[in-house]
Amino acid sequence: MTDQRSDQYILFTVAGTTYGLPSSQIAHVDLVEDITHVPNAAPFVDGVVFSRGQIVPAINMRARFGFERAPIDLRTRFLVTNTGNRVVGLLVDSCREFLKIDAASIHPPVDALGGAAGSSVSGIATSGDRMIVILNLNQLLASQDPILAA
Amino acid sequence: MTDFLDTFLDDYFAECDEHLTAVRRTLLALESSIGRSRPDPTITEELFRAFHSLKGIAGMVEHREIEMLAHEMETYLRAVREGEVRLTTAGVDRLMDAARLLEHSIAARRQGEQPIDIEPALAELRQISPDEEDSPPSSALPAPDSPAASWQCLFTPSPELIARGINVDVVRARLREQGDIISALPVVGDGGAIAFRFVFEGNPEIAERDAWVADGMVCSKIDDAAPVAVSTVVGERSAATLSSANHVRVDLARLDDLMRMIGDLVIRRARLGDAIARVESLVPSTDWRGIQENMSALERQLRELREGVMRVRLVPVAEMFRRVPFVVRDLARETGKRVTVDVSGEATEIDKFLVERMLDPVLHVVRNAVSHGLEGVDERIAAGKSPEGTLTLTAAAAGEMVTIQIADDGRGIDTARVIARARVAGLAIPAHVDEAAILELISSPGFSTRDASDRVSGRGFGMAVVRTRVQELGGAISLASTPGQGTRFTFDLPLTLAITDALIARVGGETFAVPQASVREVIEINTGGIHALETGELIQYRGAPVPIVRLSDALAIPVRPATRLHAFIVNAAGAPIALVVDRVVGQREIVVRTTSDPLIRVDGIAGATDLGDGRAVLILDVAALARQARRTRGIVPVRETA
Repeated sequence: MTDQRSDQYILFTVAGTTYGLPSSQIAHVDLVEDITHVPNAAPFVDGVVFSRGQIVPAINMRARFGFERAPIDLRTRFLVTNTGNRVVGLLVDSCREFLKIDAASIHPPVDALGGAAGSSVSGIATSGDRMIVILNLNQLLASQDPILAA
Repeated sequence: MTDFLDTFLDDYFAECDEHLTAVRRTLLALESSIGRSRPDPTITEELFRAFHSLKGIAGMVEHREIEMLAHEMETYLRAVREGEVRLTTAGVDRLMDAARLLEHSIAARRQGEQPIDIEPALAELRQISPDEEDSPPSSALPAPDSPAASWQCLFTPSPELIARGINVDVVRARLREQGDIISALPVVGDGGAIAFRFVFEGNPEIAERDAWVADGMVCSKIDDAAPVAVSTVVGERSAATLSSANHVRVDLARLDDLMRMIGDLVIRRARLGDAIARVESLVPSTDWRGIQENMSALERQLRELREGVMRVRLVPVAEMFRRVPFVVRDLARETGKRVTVDVSGEATEIDKFLVERMLDPVLHVVRNAVSHGLEGVDERIAAGKSPEGTLTLTAAAAGEMVTIQIADDGRGIDTARVIARARVAGLAIPAHVDEAAILELISSPGFSTRDASDRVSGRGFGMAVVRTRVQELGGAISLASTPGQGTRFTFDLPLTLAITDALIARVGGETFAVPQASVREVIEINTGGIHALETGELIQYRGAPVPIVRLSDALAIPVRPATRLHAFIVNAAGAPIALVVDRVVGQREIVVRTTSDPLIRVDGIAGATDLGDGRAVLILDVAALARQARRTRGIVPVRETA
């Protein structure tokens, strides 16, 4: 049923770079409400959010990619992802777009990315003159190693 | 004295509710008898019993409106039963209206409001009943054609009846007065309740039969050969028998009181244990072993008692399901549809709290099914379906979960229409719209359908609220829909919630919940009483030094210095330790949600909960915190010594 060669992606920005995740992995996108700090959690985890009846851990994507945290503003969004066995929220600078991306226009990660970042990135897509970093959600969540910004 | 009266009134209202439930359920069943010369006797007898009881208890508290309404309803029903008037749709409607008025009147009385005007309803009921003067008292009626008809009488004993001295022997004697007993057989009902079926020949007077009904005797003429009631009624009756014979009513607040008392007992036992430990050296060792054995047995039994009370909170899903046919009937009437309700698994048990919280979501989905899912009669016939739509409610327990399904055999969800509406609402449409995606769309806060029928099905409660409610309870919701064949919603809910009593504490700007069972005592400490040692800080507690752990340190939370603080005395490896917080702000019953994701699996955090303001609040694992403090700061608990 699903078109093999083009998928719907949700695009979001973190520190000026546009990233994409398959929309099938996003449960919903919320405005950022209260984040409850969890002491002694991983350094890039801001805490937990009570979203639609669930306790969802919040990964600060700026911190995850090694940037300074930015204050939460009106454009900040909370992407609740669902990998099938985990529900994790990503705190991103903004999230406003859906885009259908042809599989053919996604290029394998550039060798230069290397290291841990390489495994969290599944490809680079181009749309017009924009570059979109397609993330591998499972890899992103599985590792707690630092990821260098793409 | 007032207390006694209040309790008495509480019981009155509770009993009214019970009879009203029976009235509502049975009136629905009565509809199937419209147009027949005589309605199904088992149905009329059940109604009589309910009206009779209502009249009786209303008389005791001098609730005049209820007495009069119940009386007029009884009068009409008697005329129907005796074949003086034929049961009509208008008649059932009058009874339904009157039942609603009964409900309102009881609610008004309960809330101390003005009594409701029942005169118009009384007048309407009198209009459809034959004039009292024209129908002389039943005893004066000429005897029916056959001088000795065959009767069947079902007697269901209950503790209440036995307390009133009504047992099988009394029933047998009464029947003998009215005729000859042909046979008497004990029968086992669905709930395991024993009943007795008497067959006798005679001519019992009608007035006599009315009195019997209140005494648990349901009599019917055998040659009346009334058809068996519709399937749903049979099912529900079994549940009703079950609840009246084997169950008692308990106010949830009283259960909570019990829980609190058990909590007190647990703390008392801990103190007793401490006191006994202090005299260990004075007791011969053989005696000491006996004391220890008894103490650990006491502890185990207290835990079992607590679990037992938790189990008492389980109630049959029937409590929720029995509201459905009533809602469906009203809605079917308004929309001109024909709907049968099939119920199964209503004896499945679920936490009382869940039943209360799930009632609105279930009714919402039911309303949606009738308003949108099921087609009108013409459309169904055109589609080659039976003119009557079927709504199926199923409950089943599977392990620690209970599944509730609400299915209709209607037209199924129109995917194109959902997508079109979602687009209008500005929602993102996934590339591949499957059932999960449809559920997501219709449960989005922005999604709204604005059909005329939504006035009926909406009622300010959307699918978004349904989904949130289910998730809040730790459950899940799923959807299956086939065009032309129907739609099925499935709720998977935990059998019982991890509900626990917790103390709510504040540290700096943060709020935490601490399970009460892990806390021995809450004390106030003066910072002047804290002694700093090389290995940590100590306070005096019950004459002994006790190490303290400041949660602000353990959890790295900045706090302002204060002179007075609160502390939880908890047990760490058999010795007390004081966990210091800024302030204990209250006690709450909380729903424990585990935080199982590896990202937030932190030693010292047992889970999270919400206190109703949409914020997550962490639940502390005090034992782990105490362990952690010992490890990282070298705190060694000091054993209490005399």
